[in-house]
Amino acid sequence: MAPQLLSSRNFKSLFDSVDTFLFDCDGVIWKGEKLIDGVAQTLDLIRSKGKNLVFVTNNSVKSRRQYAEKFRSLGVPSVTQDEIFSSSFAAAMYLKVNNFHKDKKVYVIGGEGILEELQIAGFTGLGGPEDGEKRAQWKSNSLFEHDKSVGAVVVGLDPNINYYKLQYGTLCVRENPGCLFIATNRDAVGHMTDLQEWPGAGCMVAAMCGSTEREPIVVGKPSTFMMDFLLQKFGTETSRMCMVGDRLDTDILFGQNAGCKTLLVLTGVTSESNLLKEGNEIEPDYYTSTVSDMMKLMESP
Amino acid sequence: MLSRSVASAVSPVSSSSLLQNSKPIFCLKTLSGYRSSSFCGGSIRKINHKRLRMTSSTMTPRAMATQQLENADQLIDSVETFIFDCDGVIWKGDKLIEGVPETLDMLRAKGKRLVFVTNNSTKSRKQYGKKFETLGLNVNEEEIFASSFAAAAYLQSINFPKDKKVYVIGEEGILKELELAGFQYLGGPDDGKRQIELKPGFLMEHDHDVGAVVVGFDRYFNYYKIQYGTLCIRENPGCLFIATNRDAVTHLTDAQEWAGGGSMVGALVGSTQREPLVVGKPSTFMMDYLADKFGIQKSQICMVGDRLDTDILFGQNGGCKTLLVLSGVTSISMLESPENKIQPDFYTSKISDFLSPKAATV
Repeated sequence: MAPQLLSSRNFKSLFDSVDTFLFDCDGVIWKGEKLIDGVAQTLDLIRSKGKNLVFVTNNSVKSRRQYAEKFRSLGVPSVTQDEIFSSSFAAAMYLKVNNFHKDKKVYVIGGEGILEELQIAGFTGLGGPEDGEKRAQWKSNSLFEHDKSVGAVVVGLDPNINYYKLQYGTLCVRENPGCLFIATNRDAVGHMTDLQEWPGAGCMVAAMCGSTEREPIVVGKPSTFMMDFLLQKFGTETSRMCMVGDRLDTDILFGQNAGCKTLLVLTGVTSESNLLKEGNEIEPDYYTSTVSDMMKLMESP
Repeated sequence: MLSRSVASAVSPVSSSSLLQNSKPIFCLKTLSGYRSSSFCGGSIRKINHKRLRMTSSTMTPRAMATQQLENADQLIDSVETFIFDCDGVIWKGDKLIEGVPETLDMLRAKGKRLVFVTNNSTKSRKQYGKKFETLGLNVNEEEIFASSFAAAAYLQSINFPKDKKVYVIGEEGILKELELAGFQYLGGPDDGKRQIELKPGFLMEHDHDVGAVVVGFDRYFNYYKIQYGTLCIRENPGCLFIATNRDAVTHLTDAQEWAGGGSMVGALVGSTQREPLVVGKPSTFMMDYLADKFGIQKSQICMVGDRLDTDILFGQNGGCKTLLVLSGVTSISMLESPENKIQPDFYTSKISDFLSPKAATV
């Protein structure tokens, strides 16, 4: 069925049928370090109507705690750490639910957020941002060493990607028996700054696929792995949830895969023409320009 | 749907010989988009990533089983030209493999044409010529075809306009070949020093005259280059995305494997959601080019290499005889593994086996 433009005709029935609104962050709540207009008031209004709010982000650079801090600094202090499900958290939880041995290590190609979540979950992380300073040497008699006790390589968005990290991760995946290759997400691009799109984790993950000849386990959207945690927290059904996002192949697909209602906003990576063009196979239930449209619709008679 | 390149004496280098998505057949699973993990047991719809067109059917490896080379003389007499891969065949890192100089001399004495085709894009043909010389081998620059050269040759073959620029994510070899061919380029190793700061109000500019982005093995790879290349490909109308090669790993040093060009190319595929035109093996671009240049019939060629998914597939795609040597990355167990679908016509331990009249012990 074709996506419906959100309006006063369909808003009430959507709103009344949903107990929990799930929001993506980049391109929905903020763009880089700027809050999108009207978001703070809209979120407060939704909460005041008794709905639950959850934030599900594929951006693994920060931990849940760091995201809560970002919300606070942007003027939305009501959002708590428990309401945030970042892919950095998802990676640590994947290892936990799969009983990853604590004597094995995790090599991280990605940000602080992943290292922090691993540490909170009791795992030993190597790599991360500081490996951005390291350089590989290739002389005849020297060997590029890697820790043989690495049992998993986690790859996420890494603006400090370099050859050293790719080589380290590649050797772990190819040579350490049973080594897992986990991707926080595979978004191709994202709004890392407010003015333009930048390569996303999909880029670093594909680099690793290119050298390891393996496919990763993806823990972020559209994988529904994070949904398990959400369902545990709210004890609700996915049919009474609405996923609000800006990206069809992650946010909307995530919502559809889990059986939620879906609402696309046009403040991020998807334009109306991308959505409506022939050949697009992912159709949200609804779409609207921006999150604050919900506020206008809630306030209108 | 891309058609398989047809060995034709007439055609000059045509774009149909350029396999758009020349990924080796047994890496098929990496082409099908990412599988979304269904941990909560719900039914997951597979993501339809239109960018990842399945072109594997264009590369059907030969199903007939390989044979150990028993009669080297017979093979030598049946062809006019030998194409040799370099890493793992002629040398390993900076060390010459045993018996190579005598073997090459013997083949030349028999009147055979020798050609060297390498996916390594870090050096230009001239620089490779020097490497051969340093190792005591009698090889002419004109006999060497590196993927750095292939990228420049490809742009020439399509009459890439001289007023357009080429952005390079790769090393010096590519820059030198582009310069020799008269193309303007940007990027290369120097961009490895560039930093970016993702802060509000920051906008990365890019040259709108870039008409092609060439991506190859790059030890100075960084986010700046990925973004620059991505912007060119996504925003400059008609911008080409060319890969020198997609080897997953390479023997930079003889002691171990190193992440190869397939990694850098993979990164750009990840961010642009486009597949590149591959000029290096197993694409037959270089084969068509040299067959045309030297006026050779493909059936008169034997491709000798150490890697199944580049060298041997290259030879098969081009319609030549193929000989796998075990002096490089492929072991006999890999060759004989049930998962391996690529069967060279012959295999032997190393090229100096050509010198012994009987079969070498493998």
